[in-house]
Amino acid sequence: MLRSALHKVGPIVNLPGRFSRYSCVKICQRNQSTDNRIEVFVNDQSVWVEPGTTVLQACEIAGIQIPRFCYHDRLSVAGNCRMCLVEIERSPKPQASCAMPVMKGMRIKPDSDVSKKAREGVMEFLLANHPLDCPICDQGGECDLQDQSMMYGSDRSRFLEHKRAVEDKNIGPLVKTIMTRCIQCTRCVRFADEIAGVSELGTTGRGNDMQIGTYVEKMFKSELSGNIIDICPVGALTSKPYAFTARPWETRKTESIDVMDAVGSNIIVSTRAGDVLRILPRLHEDINEEWISDKTRFACDGLKRQRLTQPMMRNREGKLAMCSWEDALPIVAEKMVNTKAEEMSAVVGGFADAETLTCLKDLLNRYDSEGLCTEELFITDGAGTDLRSNYLLNTSIAGIEEADLVLLVGTNPRFEAPLLNARIRKAWVHNELDVAAIGSKVDLTYSYQHLGDSTETLKQIADGSHPFCKRLSEASRPMVIVGSEVFKRDDATGIHAAVATIAQNARLRSQKGGQDDWKVLNVLHKVASQVAALDLGYKPGIDHIRKNPPKLLILLGADGGAVNKEDLPKDCFIVYIGTHGDHSAPFADVILPSAAYTEKTATFVNTEGRAQQSQTAVSPPGFAREDWKIIRALSEIMGSPLPYDDLDGVRARMSEFSPNLTKYDAVEDANYFNQAVQLARLAKPSLLNQPLQSSQLSLADFYMTDPITRASTTMSKCVRAANEDLPPDL
Amino acid sequence: MSSLVGRSVGSLKNVPIKPIMSANPTEARRRVLTLYKQWYRAVPKIITTFKLPYTKERLQNRIREEFLKNSHIRDVRAIDMLVIKGEMDLQETLLKWKQECHMKELFQHETAIRQPTDFLGKFFSQK
Repeated sequence: MLRSALHKVGPIVNLPGRFSRYSCVKICQRNQSTDNRIEVFVNDQSVWVEPGTTVLQACEIAGIQIPRFCYHDRLSVAGNCRMCLVEIERSPKPQASCAMPVMKGMRIKPDSDVSKKAREGVMEFLLANHPLDCPICDQGGECDLQDQSMMYGSDRSRFLEHKRAVEDKNIGPLVKTIMTRCIQCTRCVRFADEIAGVSELGTTGRGNDMQIGTYVEKMFKSELSGNIIDICPVGALTSKPYAFTARPWETRKTESIDVMDAVGSNIIVSTRAGDVLRILPRLHEDINEEWISDKTRFACDGLKRQRLTQPMMRNREGKLAMCSWEDALPIVAEKMVNTKAEEMSAVVGGFADAETLTCLKDLLNRYDSEGLCTEELFITDGAGTDLRSNYLLNTSIAGIEEADLVLLVGTNPRFEAPLLNARIRKAWVHNELDVAAIGSKVDLTYSYQHLGDSTETLKQIADGSHPFCKRLSEASRPMVIVGSEVFKRDDATGIHAAVATIAQNARLRSQKGGQDDWKVLNVLHKVASQVAALDLGYKPGIDHIRKNPPKLLILLGADGGAVNKEDLPKDCFIVYIGTHGDHSAPFADVILPSAAYTEKTATFVNTEGRAQQSQTAVSPPGFAREDWKIIRALSEIMGSPLPYDDLDGVRARMSEFSPNLTKYDAVEDANYFNQAVQLARLAKPSLLNQPLQSSQLSLADFYMTDPITRASTTMSKCVRAANEDLPPDL
Repeated sequence: MSSLVGRSVGSLKNVPIKPIMSANPTEARRRVLTLYKQWYRAVPKIITTFKLPYTKERLQNRIREEFLKNSHIRDVRAIDMLVIKGEMDLQETLLKWKQECHMKELFQHETAIRQPTDFLGKFFSQK
């Protein structure tokens, strides 16, 4: 049984390899053992392929690209654009290769005159109704239709009729629609149905009157909506914030890493003349495939507003005034030298990179201070952060595709990690993955068994008295994902212990009996810096500061609202190092401007424990400096410089702390689950009778969560649109 | 194939090196001194031609500095090469193929702003 509405779109016979690359790969693996591959001929060249492969895929294996519009690797096959027509020997007409399974001894002739003529004919019909507005079209330069018309387009028109015109649809503040340009490939409809899981796009009418749209005017409410811009082969769906901004050949592209959530999506930062213009996804099969969330894609305008560009400190009237680095650093250094170690603390926020965390830790440790905290919370009792497996997404994101049962605890992955949620949905659609959740009842774009939101349920599952335990023990590859939001609760230790017990029981009772290296326990973090900070030995949460009121506090982009002026002693000297004038900058005594994630080469570790590098796409604005350099400079002025002064030096030091931090793109295995559970029991965990709830319940809660998104105008438009359910303007 | 070209290729160790101009150090030294005198005598003309704001002595000292910069060189062929370059330079100067700025470059190091090389200096001055 299929969970998606694929049959709505695909009129094609049930092909085994039609769904996704993943299912195709799986089938290939199965068949390789028996090796029942069949031989086909592409341009008389022999190719051995799996049965069920399409003609288009067979040609691709032979190294021949067939032009296509509607076919997309990760979507179901529609077969309606007809651009991929090829001649096949002994078939009366050219066949749509994307939907045609190969047969034994088939002779495919993708380069024959018939194939070419068929494509030219299709192109002529497509262009009959396509406007000639390439010069003002945002897709210009990266348009499939433009590229392929260079190959197959005619140089003159035979049509004297008027071109068809279609009314533009307003589907929200992110995607601009120019529907006259649409060639009805239905990629966007299939993406919405299959991957985003929001069936809001569809087709109406038929023949010449066929239109893509939402039928009634409403917002395309998905956290992945930006991806339909990428998959649209023509300029029908383009980016609204990026409209009329630049051409692709004018921009410089930098391969980088996203920090808007803890998933660490791979991105390309498109820049021109020191300006970040847009962010596009970059392929990484194990993390984000080829999608990114809307926050990743559209929050980049927040990098230009509300930025701190110059150091500031309080003047005689107590107001923050601009100053130079030469003025600001000695004052901070003097304060630091004259403060006692136990009265000195630092709190790091969600965007801190591993290099800066290393420098800051080294600096404070030199002065015998251990007051290094992260703003984001985690447990400290039991095994706490001592065992890496306690705080990682151990199964890994790609591992979700092998799981057969997922239990979500106190998390809403759709908004906390949209790409992880997309992965769960993918497995749910293709692999019959079952999902259950304890926590707020939210729309996750797939159906799941809601086990309520009380901690009692959690307790029952942990001690084996809940009916759900039966399903857990029946599953061969179960997963338990706990959201980082539960660690804000007073009974965080209890919940983590319960979840760890559930995971450990499920692991031991599963069919393999814990003998394989399948890991069950998963922690889903919300911020990009957390795993690196815990790897480096930062204390999670600001309990340390509450217990030891500091005289000097360094806030490294700590804008989450955990630290407030009221909670600190009156005479506390606050140094803020960060990018935006957000929550914590206004009450700081000295502000040191630093670089955002697009402006530095830095290491971020995602929730799986995978270290990745962001690259410098533009230079920091004004007098802002890279974060780790600020700390290094500060240490020199304090009189005992840190023993490294370049990036390689910092990274060498970083790998002394934890070697995995510099093993880029590798996921280091974490283990000792059993010991973690035993240690957790020693802490005597208890559970409060307080429902488990997520703070992000609807789409409007998704967009603005951190300093960059709060500064972004696009994101605020999204919140408004999501709240009102009516897009503000076209 | 000339056997005189190779310098220290094993079997050719004792074969004399083919000179560029001078056969021995004394001859090379004479050429250097000749070139130096030519430059020295040309100084007044250079100052008037390029309207340089320097005294005769200053420019002469600067030229001597340039010669002394290479005073450690003992290799005859290297000395000859430098002499040839110096002659070319003199010719370019006297025939006014150079411009005022090229002559002033000789004194640039005295007024140039030094870029910091230490971490803190770089931190304060640039990114």
